[in-house]
Amino acid sequence: MEDEFFGEKCFQYYCAEFIKHSQQIGDGWEWKTAKDCSDGYMCKTEFQIKNGTTPSHLGTPASVHTGFPTEENLELPVDDSEVMESAAASKVIKYEYHVLYSCSYQVPVLYFRASFLDGKPLSLTDIWEGVHECYKTRLLQGPWDTITQQEHPILGQPFFVLHPCKTNEFMTAVLKHPQKINRNVNYITSWLSIMGPVVGLNLPLSYAKATSQDE
Amino acid sequence: MTDDKDVLRDVWFGRIPTCFTLYQDEITEREAEPYYLLLPRVSYLTLVTDKVKKHFQKALRQEDVSEIWFEYEGTPLKWHYPIGLLFDLLASSSALPWNITVHFKSFPEKDLLHCPSKDAVEAHFMSCMKEADALKHKSQVINEMQKKDHKQLWMGLQNDRFDQFWAINRKLMEYPPEENGFRYIPFRIYQKLGLSTLYYPGTMQTKVGLELRERDLPASERYLPAYASPVLGIKTTTERPFIQKLFRPVAADGQLHTLGDLLKEVCPSAITPEDGEKKNQVMIHGIEPMLETPLQWLSEHLSYPDNFLHISIVPQPTD
Repeated sequence: MEDEFFGEKCFQYYCAEFIKHSQQIGDGWEWKTAKDCSDGYMCKTEFQIKNGTTPSHLGTPASVHTGFPTEENLELPVDDSEVMESAAASKVIKYEYHVLYSCSYQVPVLYFRASFLDGKPLSLTDIWEGVHECYKTRLLQGPWDTITQQEHPILGQPFFVLHPCKTNEFMTAVLKHPQKINRNVNYITSWLSIMGPVVGLNLPLSYAKATSQDE
Repeated sequence: MTDDKDVLRDVWFGRIPTCFTLYQDEITEREAEPYYLLLPRVSYLTLVTDKVKKHFQKALRQEDVSEIWFEYEGTPLKWHYPIGLLFDLLASSSALPWNITVHFKSFPEKDLLHCPSKDAVEAHFMSCMKEADALKHKSQVINEMQKKDHKQLWMGLQNDRFDQFWAINRKLMEYPPEENGFRYIPFRIYQKLGLSTLYYPGTMQTKVGLELRERDLPASERYLPAYASPVLGIKTTTERPFIQKLFRPVAADGQLHTLGDLLKEVCPSAITPEDGEKKNQVMIHGIEPMLETPLQWLSEHLSYPDNFLHISIVPQPTD
């Protein structure tokens, strides 16, 4: 089709490749299929400790419950286990990242939501506090154009979204050079490495290596 | 074409008589009388209910006032859907006025987007407009407009000014004469689920959850069940909220696609088989357009101000 810049088939193929590598390095990405239709999305759940400005990544959900010492809860009285638990709970945040395909813009879109361990969701203000300083100034020029709360088009639940209307523009620039020198690039890897860090999602470098080795 | 312009006015000025009642468990200082309002079909709940909010806030203690939200027969009403769509989808077969319950507590985080201010409505509205134009004209028309044109579209909707809105919106409805229509038709098809699926999606937890009130649950469980919010036994969406696909207004052979063609392609279950009994109504703005109607015409005349055709598939009333 003449205007298929990045079609849905393409999206699904690159996601599958991405997930293949994720499985090799245990990065936790998986594919979910929507009920009663062929579309789906790629997702990952991650637990992060909010520790001042630099969140440390916890990896697997299991490690959260082992109650490993953070500075805060070490200072608490040992016998007051209830207080300790809630203090720890408020510092651990569950992030859910979903990568969906937008057929209108023909680009991938990053949806995410975050909650404390008691299930209480983070508000848009909380999310903004977590955005790294180096992105803030740029995003703040038009906050409503960048991170907004929207309905997840497959789950029908509220998620935060990084708006896709500029994606095509910057991805064209990103893909131009590798195309010129005929190098294999996974669209999803390149795109997610740009979008993810804004909202605390970091990609191991090995994703990029994996793609170029496939040639 | 002159007659067709009346259609735009009729769509714009559609109203739904509505009765707002405060939820029974809200604690009031004085009695809160119901509040009646004619709601514009093409607008959004949080954009036109300032008076409702003020009216009920007067009856509440200051400390009990938090974000307002609305519910109809157990379903939280999504403010980001146009009012007419909510009515067609959820209440079109019930008697008027439309009875909406008003809440100030227990915001259903799993179901509703927050609406901290009118800016949130504007942002949502403009993002729908942009998406529609991405489908219709590869975003060319909306991107060539000036910021003040965008503002005029929004102000037109906010202040219910038909002429102000359409002075700009007509540009979004144009297409090259050699094309016979838009690139793709911006549409969304919503289906009302059968009651049984809504209440019992087959899990005991849901059933139990429905009987619990938020205050009966320990704090740790208040937000947890994703399948059913325990608040009020409210029905939640666990299914895809709407169908949206790429669909062209003109077939490969040059024939105009009709509403029927669209349904056959993306939602065949909505169509009555030739020898079968009619099970569903296909509704836009409270009417059932003929399935032979060209989709391009519908898109130009029956789209909501966000430039999408919002189509409801609801069970045929049995009375």
